Amino acid sequence: MKRRRFARGVAAACAAALALTLAACGSDDDADAGGTSTAGVVPELGPDQKVSIVFESYNLAQPGPWTDTFNGLIADFEKAHPNISVTAQKPQTSTLKGYGSASTASIQAQIATGNAPDVAQLTFGDLGYTATALGAKPLDDIVGRDAVQENFAGTHPFAPTARTLGDVDGKTYGVPFVFSTPVLYYNADLFTQAGLDPEKPPTTWDEFKTAALAIKAKTGKNGGYIDCFTKVSGDWCYQAVVASNGGSVISEDRTKLTFAEAPAVQAVEMAQDLVNSGASPKLSQDQAYPAFARGEIGMIVETSAAQGTFIKGAGGAKPPWTLRATVMPSFTGKPVVPTNSGAALFMFAKDAAKQRAAWELITYLTSDAAYTQITSKIGYLPLRTGLLDDPNGLKTWAAENPLVQPNVDQLAKLKPWVSFPGNNYVQIRTGMLEAVESVVYSGADPQKTLTDAQNQAAKLLPRS
Amino acid sequence: MTGAFVEIDALPRPSATVVPVAAARPSPARRLLRALPPYLFLLPAIGCLAVWTYRPLAAAVNLSFFSWNLLPTTPKEPVGLDNYRRLLELPDLWHALWLTAAMTLALLLFTVALPTVVALWTSAIRGRGRAVYRAMIFAPVLVPPVAGAAVWQWMLDPTSGAVDRLIGHPINWIHEPGPAQIAIVVITGWHLLGFAVLVVSAGLAGIDDEYTAAAMLDRASRWQTTRWITLPLLSPTLVFLALMTVLMSGQLTFPLIDTLTQGGPDSATTNVYYLLWEWGFQNFDAGFAASAGLLFFVAFGVVATGLVRLSDRLTFHDN
Repeated sequence: MKRRRFARGVAAACAAALALTLAACGSDDDADAGGTSTAGVVPELGPDQKVSIVFESYNLAQPGPWTDTFNGLIADFEKAHPNISVTAQKPQTSTLKGYGSASTASIQAQIATGNAPDVAQLTFGDLGYTATALGAKPLDDIVGRDAVQENFAGTHPFAPTARTLGDVDGKTYGVPFVFSTPVLYYNADLFTQAGLDPEKPPTTWDEFKTAALAIKAKTGKNGGYIDCFTKVSGDWCYQAVVASNGGSVISEDRTKLTFAEAPAVQAVEMAQDLVNSGASPKLSQDQAYPAFARGEIGMIVETSAAQGTFIKGAGGAKPPWTLRATVMPSFTGKPVVPTNSGAALFMFAKDAAKQRAAWELITYLTSDAAYTQITSKIGYLPLRTGLLDDPNGLKTWAAENPLVQPNVDQLAKLKPWVSFPGNNYVQIRTGMLEAVESVVYSGADPQKTLTDAQNQAAKLLPRS
Repeated sequence: MTGAFVEIDALPRPSATVVPVAAARPSPARRLLRALPPYLFLLPAIGCLAVWTYRPLAAAVNLSFFSWNLLPTTPKEPVGLDNYRRLLELPDLWHALWLTAAMTLALLLFTVALPTVVALWTSAIRGRGRAVYRAMIFAPVLVPPVAGAAVWQWMLDPTSGAVDRLIGHPINWIHEPGPAQIAIVVITGWHLLGFAVLVVSAGLAGIDDEYTAAAMLDRASRWQTTRWITLPLLSPTLVFLALMTVLMSGQLTFPLIDTLTQGGPDSATTNVYYLLWEWGFQNFDAGFAASAGLLFFVAFGVVATGLVRLSDRLTFHDN
């Protein structure tokens, strides 16, 4: 009898646990009119005015060069601004995956409890939601448009294509901070072993396939991986592949989905063919980039944020191999249209003093000094490209590290990574990428799968 | 109710002896005061249940009729039954439900079948060897799921993983639909096996040795005693384990799915809890996730009731 009662108790407990999953959703909303009606620009801080702010960055969740560099930058900032103290934190989520949406979910949770960080680093794919729903402060209103533009100028101004990436409806909400473009990294030693010329890396997807098959046939290693076609990859790089074929995933005015139209379908067919022909291995992102670092894959299309891992892997392998980089391949006869990955710095502070302190931090983190460290230690693009020609900046470093060049070249022809609109933007993005993944890696029918996914996703667009 | 079931009724009934037959009935206030203590003892438990279970449940029911992204700055938008309609139209839901059922069935192998075999075999081992053996089987339970998943990820790597080198054939365990499903089930099973063995061993220890001794006297073989005496007496434990597996497998596979596959490849390893979490905390669609959660709550409630009924009918009570 006791046992049966116990079983029944467990059943009830399980049901309760299930209900509790939802409890978190059920908290009553405290009406909080976090209005943005800031009359005029926030005042400068007084010399003795002590302010403490919280800065949240997903880079702090990644150990090694990422965390070390950021902690160093914050220490330097506090030295320069003794009255401002900064608490740096990583996103508060249980999951390690998907830095983009995980960091947005973290901000979301903190806003829901009324305790948002003052400055946060969020990806461009979350830009629309960050500005409209999360209530990031429009910097143009807080510190004035002139101050924002002045920050973009300076001794080494921001690349023109980078300046507007954090804009929504003509107002700057986020200061673009760290990003990459899709770079083709390749293993020069495997190229030589396969009888390919490492000086002439593939420039088109056709050449990519030929080279990959040669590497596979002659060296027994995997050919080439494109980290753009899975749910975990995110859609920034997928958008670049589609745009390079003359297509898009959503119309210019962000009201109509276009990822089941011919150019996008052809782009996915190209990727499917790479997998079906054996030129590209069936791997997940987590498997692919460490495998490339170990010298087991000939080529990989990847963000430069992984460059540090590759350099370390190439040097530590037995025998060490040579890492080279070039621009993303194109579709024959069409120009490459790179997009940006990465994130901007957004302000969530409500109090005027904290807003001013937050702005000081944002300007410091996007200064010449900060980019010099971020580029040389992590591998992200220096958005102040002039630094690469400055002997006091990154000139000597750039000469020793030609890997940065393809990224800088692509920065000039950048097309922004577009975020999907509305509250269901993550679901739209996930639906699209799941369809792409199932076409490329599971051999689903390209046109039908993408059309079905687009029809499902269209229901999630905001009703206008 | 079959079998010899005897309510223990040996204690003297207190009402007959303690309360003297009073000539005049006490006042109603006094009677109320006297009746109160048992309810006061119950109050903390009921209070907790109401605050932590029933109130959130009511809030979830309420939330499921709204479209809301959890932000205090965003107004809740009433949508009526739209969330439920959208949910039932979604192919992902049916796919995930089917996968959850299949994974649960496969897990029963590790939580009921294997533990019974292991426990029956190890019950014959005596002395220190038994403790060592049990400790070894129990060890995986102590490994945190996410840490275990990270180690398995290395072992299952297609080019340099230990598992593929052992079987001498490259299989991408994490990125091919079939193998990924097997991997999730086996790793979860590996985690649970020790706990299940412990429960079955406890069940075995609770069976009176005299039954076996009596059967031996009647020249029953070892198999016959196991089949006709041990297993029927063990059945309440086994039904309990089955119930646990059905109700908890979704939650138990969650950390593995999140760390290893994120529901992929091609949604082959997702389940209803992972989907629920994605909707609520990745897509910020709280109303939709609440409606899904309620639907699962009702469905699992029905399943649990069915299993409890079944256990009433099937189990053989030894009193």
